[in-house]
Amino acid sequence: MSSRGIAAAGVYVPRGRVTAEDVREAWGAFQGRGIDAKAVPAGDEDAVTMAVAAAGRALENSAMSPNAVDAVAFATTTPPVAEEQLAPRVVQALGLSSETRTWHHGQSTAAGADALETALNAEGTVLAVVADAPVGDPAGSDHAFGAGAAAFLVDDDAAVTFAGVGSATDESPGVRFREAAEEEVASLDITGYERAAIRETTRDAIADLGLDADRIDAASLHQPNGSMPYRIAGEGVVSNGAVAEGTVVDRIGDAGAATAAIGLVAALETGGDESVLAAFYGSGGGAVAFAFEGRLDGDEAATLDDGERVSYVESLRKRGIVVDGDVAGGGANVSLPTWRRTLDSRYALTAGRCPACGALSFPGEGACDDCHERVEFERAPLSSVGTVAARTVIGHGGAPPEFVELQQRDGAYGAALVRLDARDGDGSVLMPAQLTDCDHESVAVGDAVRRTVRRIYEQEGVVRYGAKFTPTE
Amino acid sequence: MSEAYIVGAGQSPFGSFPDETYRSLFDTAFDRTLESVDGELDTADIEEAFIGTLGVGGRQIGLSGPAVTEHLGLHGIPTTRVENACASSGYSLRSAVAAVKSGMADLVLAGGYEVMTDTSSDHTKWWLGVSGETEWERLSGTTFAGVYAQMASAHMDEYGTTKEDLSRVAVKNHGNGAQNPDAHLGFECSLEDAVNAPDVADPLNLYHCCPTTDGASAVLVASEDVAFDLTDDPIRVAGVGAASGRVGLFQRPSLTSIPATKEAAEQAYEMAGVGPEGLDFAEVHDCFAIAELLAYEDLGFCEPGEAGTLLREGRTDPDGELPVNTSGGLKSKGHPIGATGTGQVVEAFKQLRGKASVQTDDPVRGLTHNVGGSGGGVTVHVFERTSEVEP
Repeated sequence: MSSRGIAAAGVYVPRGRVTAEDVREAWGAFQGRGIDAKAVPAGDEDAVTMAVAAAGRALENSAMSPNAVDAVAFATTTPPVAEEQLAPRVVQALGLSSETRTWHHGQSTAAGADALETALNAEGTVLAVVADAPVGDPAGSDHAFGAGAAAFLVDDDAAVTFAGVGSATDESPGVRFREAAEEEVASLDITGYERAAIRETTRDAIADLGLDADRIDAASLHQPNGSMPYRIAGEGVVSNGAVAEGTVVDRIGDAGAATAAIGLVAALETGGDESVLAAFYGSGGGAVAFAFEGRLDGDEAATLDDGERVSYVESLRKRGIVVDGDVAGGGANVSLPTWRRTLDSRYALTAGRCPACGALSFPGEGACDDCHERVEFERAPLSSVGTVAARTVIGHGGAPPEFVELQQRDGAYGAALVRLDARDGDGSVLMPAQLTDCDHESVAVGDAVRRTVRRIYEQEGVVRYGAKFTPTE
Repeated sequence: MSEAYIVGAGQSPFGSFPDETYRSLFDTAFDRTLESVDGELDTADIEEAFIGTLGVGGRQIGLSGPAVTEHLGLHGIPTTRVENACASSGYSLRSAVAAVKSGMADLVLAGGYEVMTDTSSDHTKWWLGVSGETEWERLSGTTFAGVYAQMASAHMDEYGTTKEDLSRVAVKNHGNGAQNPDAHLGFECSLEDAVNAPDVADPLNLYHCCPTTDGASAVLVASEDVAFDLTDDPIRVAGVGAASGRVGLFQRPSLTSIPATKEAAEQAYEMAGVGPEGLDFAEVHDCFAIAELLAYEDLGFCEPGEAGTLLREGRTDPDGELPVNTSGGLKSKGHPIGATGTGQVVEAFKQLRGKASVQTDDPVRGLTHNVGGSGGGVTVHVFERTSEVEP
């Protein structure tokens, strides 16, 4: 029997955290039972950037080359665009092969299960990535909404083996839905009906799997709040101790389709000799349960406790809830095709090496920056960790219009020239890039910074992603 | 090659003039240029024109040269629009000098204009970034304030330059500009004001940045025959230098120096047969305070890293050994992008004629230094009084 399963996993949770207490203070109530704090994505983050970050960690933990990946199964309920494939962005940002097969899943919080099952049923090395950042009515449903991403590297001969899947379907609309062309996730708030729908259908999926409760060491159950997984687990379905191992919503909030997937990573890292259970519920009326055996090395779940506290008002700004992003047109423009030509340099950080003099040029186009010969550059990969050679902080009013929305969301931002060494150690180049996820004023010349993929800006409805840098310390 | 002389130079007031247009501003600059000519000049004798403008606001992107010369009634003459960002009219002067020196023309108009303050703040910001390297530099979220701030951060890190050093540029230049009736920000400022101004792009604050300005300027360049017909005291264009560099700071070998300035200065000094010690004043491109410090070092006024000291010791004050930016510079006089280069020549012309608002003591020779962007294009010119040098 093949030991197909999860070879490695990665978790990414945005740095910002707002506490339930701060939300309660703002609204007089907090509608997120069992949630202590929730993750707040920065203004330059979305499902794509979080997916790239989580998948990057999974690859790093596996020590596998990006070239080894045959396919990507991407899941989100909060795509930055309603129609358009997003996995190609993830593939390019991670430097995966152009032969990579991609699948997309969405439509409900069970989307993560769909991606995982696709990966488990496929052949070869498959990355299943789920990322979400739901928004809701600020006065109610939004209280619980956090953000995050999890990635699973599925392969044969994996450390964690796939031991079975169960499912159940029972039409029950209105539990959690988003109307066409709406951004806010809503619910009819028929408490008893909703709880029963989630509980019974998820229990049916677990029953379909046919696992004994006492054989489950750790379980990540559907967790839109801190109490729901225990409601599902009650009456002997799963022990409370096992549920605690896979419950993460208390620290990151309801990250949509990603919450149970992040919980699964936490469960797999703490699992014992018996099984690890993951049960995903998708509103509308479907549930999927998986059994795994084995344990993942690594400490991805530790990142859940990191983070930087932000105020409730900052959290609204960062998520764009109180920001109008309209940008007036004007002078400087980089056309989309021109942008696309630079993707290799932007994501993978590559320069050109001059075959005539050996010097590096960035970008690797045109004449050599050093000997000024017109040459065909050799592709020279750069380190993803560099040093700040020059820096500034663009304050209010100093940003070009395409960055005004970012500034409204995240405040003054750093812009640096980052010195990046060639990976072969021969020479270095300077790359202009924004800083992110840091105290911008405190970043100084000489500081070490690491690449991260973020939204750069949006023009004519198309998001442009690329490299930004964040201090390594 | 024949010599080229400046026989007249004039500028419109620099400032914010919502009721003016680029044509009306250039009209004023041209009138003042004609007034500055000693003899009788028939405008029909002007054979060619080079007009610098970035075209901020998109008000006349195409044919923006003929759009002003025809308006002035300089009918039919060949007119070329010159665009090298903030060095546009430094380059229009260079083209005019080349036309005269080559013998193709005896009397050529060089000038520039820009209208920057009559558009919405969003629209203005789009245009401020257009001369930086767009694909990488601009999309790292910077306009010029950010790029010069990065240079300042590197200079501070390498040489220990301080915020006070940057602020002294503002104090000196505002002190000079306060006496210039054509200055945009003609008021004095204290070191305390300058140090404590709000940040624009850390470490640069509001007093370390020049304003956006409306204005126009013009210069008449003549051959030897025509020049001495028009005046006994033409100003000789003794040295001409120009050089280009990578448009993006990140593509250049130094963050604390502008190589194109060094190259252009070397050419101009060699042609003029003098070095920086032969200068009596200089108008340098102080779009940001750090730019004036870099100019001191790149033009050879001091060693690299010593600019802060030069300023601190008052050696570039009006009564110092080499007064710099007696007009107020871009900081106080203003920076109407396309008009700045020939605007600097207006000050040099006045200094050498003894008619400057902050007059230096009997100057013989002065330099103008005009930078496009953060150093992608630079001109350096050396001007010399003929009444003294060639009696």
